[in-house]
Amino acid sequence: MKRVGVFVCDCGTNIASVVDTERVAREALEMPGVVYATNYKYMCSDPGQDLIKKAIQEQNLERVVVASCSPRMHENTFRKAVGDGGLNPYLFEMVNIREQNSWVHNDKEEATRKASDLVRMAVFKVLKNEPLQPGTIPVTKRALVIGGGIAGMQSALDIADTGYEVILVEREATIGGKMVQLDKTFPTLDCSA
Amino acid sequence: MVAVAQHPNIKMYTYSEVEAVNGYIGNFTVTIRQKAKYVDWDKCNGCGTCETKCPTKKLKSEFDLGLGNRTAIYKAFPQAVPNKPVIDAENCRKLKNGKCGVCEKICPTQAINFDDKDELITENVGAIVMATGFDLFDWTQTYGEYGYGKFPDVITGLQFERLVNASGPTGGKIKRPSDGKTPQSVAFIKCVGSRDDTKGKTYCSRACCMYTAKHSLQVLEKIPGGEAYVFYMDVRTAGKNYEEFYQRSLNAGAKYIRGRVSKIYPRGDRLVLKSEDTLLGMPIEVEADLVVLATAMEPARGAEEIAKLVGFSTDKDGFFQEAHPKLQPVETFTGGVYLAGACQGPKDIPDTVAQASGAAVKVAMLFSKPELSTQPMVSEVDVSKCSGCEFCVPICPYQAISMKQVEERGPKGPITRQAAAVNEGLCQGCGACISACRSGALNLKGFTDEQILAEVDALCL
Repeated sequence: MKRVGVFVCDCGTNIASVVDTERVAREALEMPGVVYATNYKYMCSDPGQDLIKKAIQEQNLERVVVASCSPRMHENTFRKAVGDGGLNPYLFEMVNIREQNSWVHNDKEEATRKASDLVRMAVFKVLKNEPLQPGTIPVTKRALVIGGGIAGMQSALDIADTGYEVILVEREATIGGKMVQLDKTFPTLDCSA
Repeated sequence: MVAVAQHPNIKMYTYSEVEAVNGYIGNFTVTIRQKAKYVDWDKCNGCGTCETKCPTKKLKSEFDLGLGNRTAIYKAFPQAVPNKPVIDAENCRKLKNGKCGVCEKICPTQAINFDDKDELITENVGAIVMATGFDLFDWTQTYGEYGYGKFPDVITGLQFERLVNASGPTGGKIKRPSDGKTPQSVAFIKCVGSRDDTKGKTYCSRACCMYTAKHSLQVLEKIPGGEAYVFYMDVRTAGKNYEEFYQRSLNAGAKYIRGRVSKIYPRGDRLVLKSEDTLLGMPIEVEADLVVLATAMEPARGAEEIAKLVGFSTDKDGFFQEAHPKLQPVETFTGGVYLAGACQGPKDIPDTVAQASGAAVKVAMLFSKPELSTQPMVSEVDVSKCSGCEFCVPICPYQAISMKQVEERGPKGPITRQAAAVNEGLCQGCGACISACRSGALNLKGFTDEQILAEVDALCL
């Protein structure tokens, strides 16, 4: 059985006011493979990430589960921390106990039970995780800007100034867009052309 | 504008539209349709003789929003970039019925080409910035109380801009469209189409409070003894130096009245605005010579179509959907496609410029690496299980799956058959193909059937 570490985030009071994070961590220790489990105030913070990195090394963890916010928020943060701790970043699972739990529930007992269930699911899953490697694809270093108004012109000029080629497509016969139709512009009343 | 045209790294295709986009982040192939201009821009020196001689002179100028005229061969405005004309095929006598051709005869550089055709151009790019901007809400379709557009002296804020613009149809003098007289009293109505969920949009258009403050100031500065009335719901001036600017218009004498105008009707050659002053709690009537409507910004015409074509999503109002409202306001959910300006939501100029520079940095970030690393949680094919049924191909929203020929050992020597192949650059790991695969040959790395079932076991066992 792989050695799993479970890290439960309080997110200040965002999670901890509804979910008993200490209990979730305690219950996680009963789950298969889990050799280390703890909660912490802000898992995404520097000390929080250090906690994960240290535990990987000191506890010889082979898999990591973090129960915190939505993966859209911090999946990359924790993947990187797991990678820095010496594991393949994909030997990690994230559990959302904020957006899909503490933010939408009031009943502490039920919410805590749900958090434990979600953590158990992730623990079972992470045991089956395989190391993954990102692939590479080439990049054509030319940009297309669609629209030649103030937004398109500014973008095109900035990209062009970094040294890359830009193709600017405008459906009217002239660039300028709405901006050139304007007279003076607020709040400085300078001309817009 | 000129800086764009002169920049050695910028290639401009004006009078052109993007017709097709294929590929994925770092590797897009774009088809651009360059519309027939009927003028060879390489030969044309932009002298403008053709415009002065064109006999079709009374066409409504789109640039001046109908307040001025243009010819059939025309530049939108004298400082156009590129400074070359096009022929409006729908209204050109020669292109319509073969008679005329005056421009061709008088053109000193023989640049007129009545046989010009649309041209398709293919370009390869690695990133796309969407900057398609906005259009104004068409109030004439819904606002019957303001006359459905039948009173010539009820105009939009953008039309007012043309009236005060020195290069506009009146040379910068504020004149009424109906009789060309200088209006003594100008009324402004804010939130026409915005913050109006019965007739228009629920959202606030953000720039109108400020440009209306500017317009009222211009009325007071340009018309001696002029009066400016502003009908408003709220005054929203969140922006650096914005509140101060609004105060400046108040100090100059703009009269702000809190209330919605319920009716506009003519009295003599003036217009009467009936409203309530909600601060006084009583009905109010204002006579004005000119009424200016601050109409809502909405996505530019064709925005929905181009979003589909490039392959990213729009929001409930048809604006382009950013990947995260706070943390990724420049990215879309499609890799390599970025947003700039009012195409993402109503915006004023400072915010537009800031976002446009943000989009440029995102593009530069993408280009700064020798190659892109792809996320590894993509679909993979077990060729031995794949029956080559092609069910997964149309299901894939990213066109990431194609069929390839595989050779394997058969009972009577090697045989060739087809099997699915996943392009890892295109695959976004959505998993749609996996549920479509009948033979269980497809699996999503990081979300394999085994892993999902382990999760189910965790709950059920």
